[in-house]
Amino acid sequence: MASMSPVERVLRTFDGKPVDRIPCFSCLLEGRQADEILGKKLIQNGILVTNPLVKLFFDKLGPSITRPIIQRTFADLVDRRNRAQVKMGFDAIWAYYDDSWVALDSETLALTTGSLFNVIGDGYGNATYMYREPGIKTPADFEAWPYWPNPDDIAHRVSKYFRKFVKKHGESTCIFGYGFFGGLFESMNWSFGIEKVPLWIKREPAYVKRFLDLLEEISIKTHTAILEAGAPGVFQSDDFAYKTGPFMRPSMVEEIFGDRYRRIIKNVHDHGGKYILHSCGDNTLLFDHFIDWGVDGLHAYENTSNVDIFKEKEIHGDQVTIVGGVGIDYLLSDRSKDEEIVEKVKELCIKLGPGGKFLLSAVHSEDSVPSAKLKVMLDAVKEYGVYPLTTD
Amino acid sequence: MKECLINVQTAVIDMNDSNILELVQNCLDEGLTPIEIIEGGLSKGLEGVGERFDAGEYFLAELIMAGEVVTMATTFLQSMMVPGEIGKKGKVLLATVKGDIHEIGKNILGMVLSASGYEVVDIGANASAELILETLKEQKINMVGLSALLTTTVGGIKEVVELLRQAGMRDQTRIAIGGACCSRQLADEMKVDAFGESAVSAVSIFDGFRESLAVS
Repeated sequence: MASMSPVERVLRTFDGKPVDRIPCFSCLLEGRQADEILGKKLIQNGILVTNPLVKLFFDKLGPSITRPIIQRTFADLVDRRNRAQVKMGFDAIWAYYDDSWVALDSETLALTTGSLFNVIGDGYGNATYMYREPGIKTPADFEAWPYWPNPDDIAHRVSKYFRKFVKKHGESTCIFGYGFFGGLFESMNWSFGIEKVPLWIKREPAYVKRFLDLLEEISIKTHTAILEAGAPGVFQSDDFAYKTGPFMRPSMVEEIFGDRYRRIIKNVHDHGGKYILHSCGDNTLLFDHFIDWGVDGLHAYENTSNVDIFKEKEIHGDQVTIVGGVGIDYLLSDRSKDEEIVEKVKELCIKLGPGGKFLLSAVHSEDSVPSAKLKVMLDAVKEYGVYPLTTD
Repeated sequence: MKECLINVQTAVIDMNDSNILELVQNCLDEGLTPIEIIEGGLSKGLEGVGERFDAGEYFLAELIMAGEVVTMATTFLQSMMVPGEIGKKGKVLLATVKGDIHEIGKNILGMVLSASGYEVVDIGANASAELILETLKEQKINMVGLSALLTTTVGGIKEVVELLRQAGMRDQTRIAIGGACCSRQLADEMKVDAFGESAVSAVSIFDGFRESLAVS
């Protein structure tokens, strides 16, 4: 079969049509990998963490003055990650763009939907963020939260970014865009505190509805912006599970999120796009629900969880495109041998490639993953993922 | 078993926070002590929750709700307990290892251990091995539960074990690990004493630690 463009290869894979080889998907890159691929910037954003004058600046001036600086910083940060993915040569990428964070001080970032993050160093000269605590602990906090996002404003900035990015890179890779940090359930976990979410659901359903209405509106508007900018698809992250299973019983997931996700995904389909849902952990008990909601693809099938990616191919392989398979706990770390990555790629190609509907990918992104290991994975797919697949 | 205790158990299993305090008061009115209510009602209720969790009927959200019901009841009862009654099974130190900020599993374990009669000293997330050692020494604790979700932080477990060994405390300290990246294999590799698959089942691990420490 003649060689295809990445976009054609990926979209035909989703549709179960014959392709030349298995596509390789990039599940985001972190600052470290972006530096390795694009070269380090003259001034790394790690000075946000290390330089006392910069810290003083953020501490003294406050969020209203520093917000444009943070927006610019985030815009640059996520754009570098996206460009690095394109340069590496992945068939499809998760292009994430969100500049809506607020710096409360030099050590605290606020996500506009109500959660607080620490500003930390990634160990490679870049500033990054790590979840600290919920910003909304009571209904009074909900009413008083000053940073609630405006969905139209976010969608406008997402549109502006993706129009440029798709114009420049849309031929080189199949772009799955994402315009806001946080799915519906995980945003609740961050904003209310994961241990309190069941209590909010039980005791404050009106606030939960308001919160989810906002997240749904942001999802729909940013997805529309991304697709109207010309991206072929959307990749949304929402962690419903952990190592051994879902956080809440499937019937509750369906009750609270089912119809919302059906509307979100229908909007993507109405605009001609493909929809991939990412959920960490073992989602085995939820896959039927996700498929019923209308997802085209599912990511990550974490190897460190109890999910069995090969069994899932047997059960749901004709209904949904599996995206994932290569672990970051060992294989995509500097502890592994390259041959081990190649063997894993071969196994995934042979077992998941038949019938199509499979994009090989890392199960997650992490600062500790050397880009060289991702390159080994990518090169291996290009060599061993060619149809017809053989065991050689 | 007294009906009032069965009612308390049922309220925990059904995650009924609306009348748990009334049910606890009923038990007090019938002459039961706070400890009897905790052990015979709340703790038994948590066992029922654990059985449903293991059977795949209950999930983390239900554990959290049940834990909330138990916390409401134990907070109410604590004001009536003499100091020695609280945590009479012994002290347990809980921590999430350095580099890891995830706490939910540890916090649920803390609730369950408290309800089961342990005094829980929780030093939070991102806890260095040095802080863990210092706390064990200062508070004379010899049972510790370490939580690790991220595979990149399992080295923190190794550091704790090594520090305890260097301090001459390893033999008289019992260590259990739990969390998404943990396993029995990891427990063996890290040379700790136990791996806890879930918060509710982990209580029996600490009961076992108590027995082994009493014998040694």
